[in-house]
Amino acid sequence: MHPFSVLTLGIFVAGYITARWDLVTRLYELAIFAWNYGVVTRAAKGFGVLSLVFLIVFIPVQRLATLESNLHPRSPGSEDDGLMRVFWPTDLPRSDCNGVVVGWRNSALDVLVVAVLEEVEPRRVESALKLGNLLRNAPHPVSRIYEQCGKSSISVLGVSNTPDTVEVDSSWIRVTIAPKQRVPSVTCARASSIQIILFERPLPGRMQYMSLNPIALALGDKHDGFKQDFADSGEEDDEKRERLSKETKRKLVEKLKQHSVIKRIPSPKERALATIVNQINWAWELEKLLQQNVSRIGTRPKRALSVSERVVESATTARDMVLVWLWELITIYVLPVIKKVFVLGLMAHRVVAEMLLRILEWRLRPRYAALKDISATAQQVEIRLQQFCYWPMQYVTLRMRKNDWASVTTSHPDYIRFYNSLWLVANDVIIGMAFGSYIIENAGWVADEISRLLTTYTVEALQSSISWLMGWPAGLKLNTELAAFLGDLFLWVIEYWASCIETIRPMLPRIVLIIGFSSFAGASMPLALFSDLLSILTIHIYSFYLASARIFHWQLNILQSLFHLFRGKKHNVLRNRIDSCDYGLDQLLVGTILFTVLFFLLPTVVVFYLNFAIARMAIILFKACFDTALSCLNHFPLFALMLRVKDPKRLPGGIRFELRDTQDFGATSNDNIPLRQHPSTSVISLQSIPLDFKSMFYQYFQMGNRIRKHYLSPRVALCLLTGKFVPPLNRRNLYSLQYSMLPAKRAGVMEMWDAVNSLPASKRKSMPIQVPILASGRRFPSNYGGGRSRSYG
Amino acid sequence: MLTTTPYLTIRRPSPTTAEFTLTTCPPLTLPLRAALFGVLCLRFIAVLSVIIGIYAAFFSPTGLLPPPIFPSGRISFLDFDLNNFLLHILHLLYISRPGQYLAPLAISLPPYAVLALSALTSYIALFARIHTTESLLVLRGLGIQMSSSVGGGNFFRLGGGTFMKRTRFIPTEKIQDILINEAFKGFEVRYYLVIVVEGEQDVVVCFPRLLPRRKIVERVWRGARGCLYEKDGPVLSAGAGGGGGSHGGNGAWRGGSGNGKSG
Repeated sequence: MHPFSVLTLGIFVAGYITARWDLVTRLYELAIFAWNYGVVTRAAKGFGVLSLVFLIVFIPVQRLATLESNLHPRSPGSEDDGLMRVFWPTDLPRSDCNGVVVGWRNSALDVLVVAVLEEVEPRRVESALKLGNLLRNAPHPVSRIYEQCGKSSISVLGVSNTPDTVEVDSSWIRVTIAPKQRVPSVTCARASSIQIILFERPLPGRMQYMSLNPIALALGDKHDGFKQDFADSGEEDDEKRERLSKETKRKLVEKLKQHSVIKRIPSPKERALATIVNQINWAWELEKLLQQNVSRIGTRPKRALSVSERVVESATTARDMVLVWLWELITIYVLPVIKKVFVLGLMAHRVVAEMLLRILEWRLRPRYAALKDISATAQQVEIRLQQFCYWPMQYVTLRMRKNDWASVTTSHPDYIRFYNSLWLVANDVIIGMAFGSYIIENAGWVADEISRLLTTYTVEALQSSISWLMGWPAGLKLNTELAAFLGDLFLWVIEYWASCIETIRPMLPRIVLIIGFSSFAGASMPLALFSDLLSILTIHIYSFYLASARIFHWQLNILQSLFHLFRGKKHNVLRNRIDSCDYGLDQLLVGTILFTVLFFLLPTVVVFYLNFAIARMAIILFKACFDTALSCLNHFPLFALMLRVKDPKRLPGGIRFELRDTQDFGATSNDNIPLRQHPSTSVISLQSIPLDFKSMFYQYFQMGNRIRKHYLSPRVALCLLTGKFVPPLNRRNLYSLQYSMLPAKRAGVMEMWDAVNSLPASKRKSMPIQVPILASGRRFPSNYGGGRSRSYG
Repeated sequence: MLTTTPYLTIRRPSPTTAEFTLTTCPPLTLPLRAALFGVLCLRFIAVLSVIIGIYAAFFSPTGLLPPPIFPSGRISFLDFDLNNFLLHILHLLYISRPGQYLAPLAISLPPYAVLALSALTSYIALFARIHTTESLLVLRGLGIQMSSSVGGGNFFRLGGGTFMKRTRFIPTEKIQDILINEAFKGFEVRYYLVIVVEGEQDVVVCFPRLLPRRKIVERVWRGARGCLYEKDGPVLSAGAGGGGGSHGGNGAWRGGSGNGKSG
C-alpha cells in the first residue's frame, strides 16, 4: 500500500476515534465483559468440535460418494462412452483424392456424413460453411434445411485419405477410402469403438424417402365421433366390451411396466434417430448443392468454352429466345383466361355439389338416418361428390410441393392418395363404360332376365316353399290349421306383391336403360343402383321376415313366462330375477293348458320363421357382395400396389439394420494391438423396408374383422334363435373404409375459393405462400392460415 | 435329421453391437447339403407334376405330336412363338413316361379335386420351409431389431429362401425394459424374453416362434442388456443360474404365473 494512503487511513481512524470516543469505550467494556464471562473460550470450543465433525464424518462420506458414483455412473448426460457413430452414404463417389468430410454433427461422437469435398483445405471449408458460401444458389430457402434437419449448421467432420502426419482436431474422423473399397475405414482419436452405419440415400427427385413409421395410406382415424353418435345399442355393446378388454390389458401392461427398477433417461444419441432419418432424406439434395458450390473455395480450374461450343451455345440461345417469346405470348394472354374459366367452372361445380351434399346429409332428427345411410346409390354419389370437393384442395397442396425442397417428405402420402383416387375414378369410368354399353345394347334381354329371376326366386320359389310347409314338410306333422292360416296369409300378400311387380314390369327396360346410362359415371354407380333395386324388389321378403320373427318372438316370450308359471315361479321385473309365487288353482290350470297349446304350435311357427330368415340372410349376403365390389372399386390401393412393384422405396414401412460380416470383437481383443489405433468397428447397413401388403390392405382386414365380429358373434346366433331382429351393421361403421381417403370435414366453398386463388402464377414466383395443409389428415379449419412451415413442426 | 433343437450363435464385432441368432438349421456339412439338395429336387418334381396334371386334366391334349414351335416350318427368330414353345415343352413332359403315369390319374379325378390337390401340392412345394431362424440385433444408441425368417440361411446355401424375413426395429428411446418372464404353454413352464415398449398395448416377445430354453434366454438377456446399457461393454459370461432374475417380471400377463424367478 502506498505510504501516503496509509497515512490518510491513519489520520481518518484517529479522527474517528476522537470524534466517537464514547462508542469506542463501550466496545472496550463489552470486550472485557465477554472475556470475564468466558464467551471466547466457549466459541473456540464450538469451533473445535465442528471442525472435528467435519474432518471425521463429512470428508469420508464425500469421498465414499464420489467413489460410488464413479463405480456406477447413472447420469445419462455423460454420454461420452467412447462409442462413435458414423452414418455413411454408400453411394458417395469414391476416389483416392484427399478431401474434407462434411456433414451433420448430432452430438460429439455422432455424425452423419453428407459429402466428401475433394481437393480443398479443411480450414477454408470451415470458414465457407460459417459464411454460408457453400450453400449459395440454393433453389429454395436454406433455413428450411436447418429447420428440417434439426441442427443449426453443417460442420466439417474430418478428413479423408489424409496421411497420419497431418494434425487434425481430436473430434475429427480420419477416413480412408479407395475407389474399390465399399466400406470406408474410419478412425477417430476420441473413439474407442465405432459403429459405421451404411445407408443408401433415397432420391428425393423420385420421391423416395425413409421413415421410422409406415407410410399412412389412409387419412387418420377421425370417424370416432360419428361412431359414438350413431351407433345403435347393439354396436355400443360390442364396442364397450372391446374397450373394456383393452382397458384391462392396458392395466396389466402398466403393472408390468412398474417392474422396471431404473428409469433410464435416453441420451441425446438415442433421441436423435428421428432427426437422423430426416437428415438421411436430405442427404442427396444437400450433397448436390455442396458439390455445386465447391468450386467457389477449391482450386480446381474451370475450363473455358471453345469456339465451336460458343457457336452452338449462341445458336441454341437464339432458338430458345423465339420459343420463350412464343411461350410468353401464350402464358400472358391465353392461359389466364383458360385458368379463370376453369376456376369459375370448378367453383360452380362446387356450389352444386354443396347443395346436393346438404340434401344427402339432411336428417329429420339428429338420431334419424340420412338418405346416404339408407341407400347405396346416395352413398356412392356422396363419396364421389366429396372426392370432387377434396381434389382441388389436394391439388393445391401438391402444387405447393414444387415451391419447396424435394426432400420435404410430408406431402408424399398425400400425393399417393391423390393419384390413387384419380386413378380409381378413371378405372371406374372405364369399366363403367364397358359395362354400360353392354347393358344399353342388351337392355331388353337384361330386363327380361331380371324379371324372370324376380318371378322365379322371389315369388314362385317363396310360393312353392310356403305350400310345401303347409303340407307336412319332410314328414314333420305340423299343426294343419295354423300352417294353413299362416301360409294363406303369406300367399295372399305374395300374390298382391306379384301383381305389383306385374305393373312394374313394363317399366323395367327403361329402368335398366337408366342404370346403363348411369354407368358412364363409373361402374360403381350401376352396382349401387342394382344393390338398391335388390332391396326395393325384395321388400316383401323383408316384411315377411319381420312379421314371422315378431310372431315367433312373442310366442317364445309367452312360453317362457308360462313355463315359470308351470313351475310356480314368476319373473320379477323390478329385481330382474325369478321369484316363487303362489298361483291360484284356476290360474295354474289355464296357464298350463295355454302352455301346452302354445308349445305344440311352436314348431309350425318355427318353420315359417326359419324359411323367411334364411331368405333374408341370403339377401344380406347378396348385398354384402355388392358392397364389397363397391368398396373395391372405390378404395383399392391400386397406385400403392403399382408403386410397390415399380419403386418400393417410395413406400417406406420402417427401417431395418443388418450386421455386416467383420472380424469378431473377441478376435481383435486377443491381439495386442492398442485400442486407440484400431478401435473395434462394427459395420451395419441401414435399409428401408417397403410397406408390407398387410398394412396396405389394413382397411380391408379391419372391415372384414368388423363384419365377422358383427355377424358371426354368438349374439347374432342368439338373436336368430329367439327371433329377435338382427340389427344390420351400421353403414357408417361398415364403410368407414370408403371414407378413409376423405377428410372428416370437407372444406367449405370459400375455403376452396381461397385455396384455388392462392396458387402461384408461375414457378418463378416462388413466394412462400400460406396454404392450408392437408397432409396427414389434420383438421382443415384449425390449421387454416397456420402456414406451411409451422405445420411441419 | 434336417433340423436340430434351436441353438444360439452370437456375432459381436464390437462391444456395442451384437447379434444373437437362434436357428434350427444345423451347421452345414456335406451330407446335410446333399439332403437339402434332395429336398429341393423333390420340390421341383412336385411342381412339375402339378403342371403336368393340370395340363392333362384341363387342356385335354390329343395325340403324341407336340404343337410346332415354328408354325411356318422355317427356323427363325421372327417366327418364334413363345406360347407354342411353352406348349411344346409341356407336351414333351406330358408324353414322357412319368407324365403318362400321371395323366390318367389326373383325368380320372373330378376337376375340383385336381385343382385342390394341385393347389395344396404347389403350396407345400413352394412355401413350406424346413428351418426357422430368429435373431435379435442389439445396437447401442440405436435400438433392438428382431427378425424372424422361415428358412434359415440364404437360398444358395440350400437352406431355403429368406424372402419371408420379417423384421421389427424398436428404437432405444422407446424400450423401457428387457426382462425374462414365465408363462404356461401347454403343461410346461416357458421362460421367454420380453421387451416392454413405451406407448404400446402389448409387450413384445423375442423369439416368438422358437421360444428357447431358459439357459439361452438368460444368455441373450445378459448380452442384450450389456450391449445396450452398460458402459464397459457386456459381461461375457454365460452363467447358468445366479441371481440374475432381479428383473424377472411377475405380472400375470398372458397367463404368466404370479411367481417371480427363484434363480
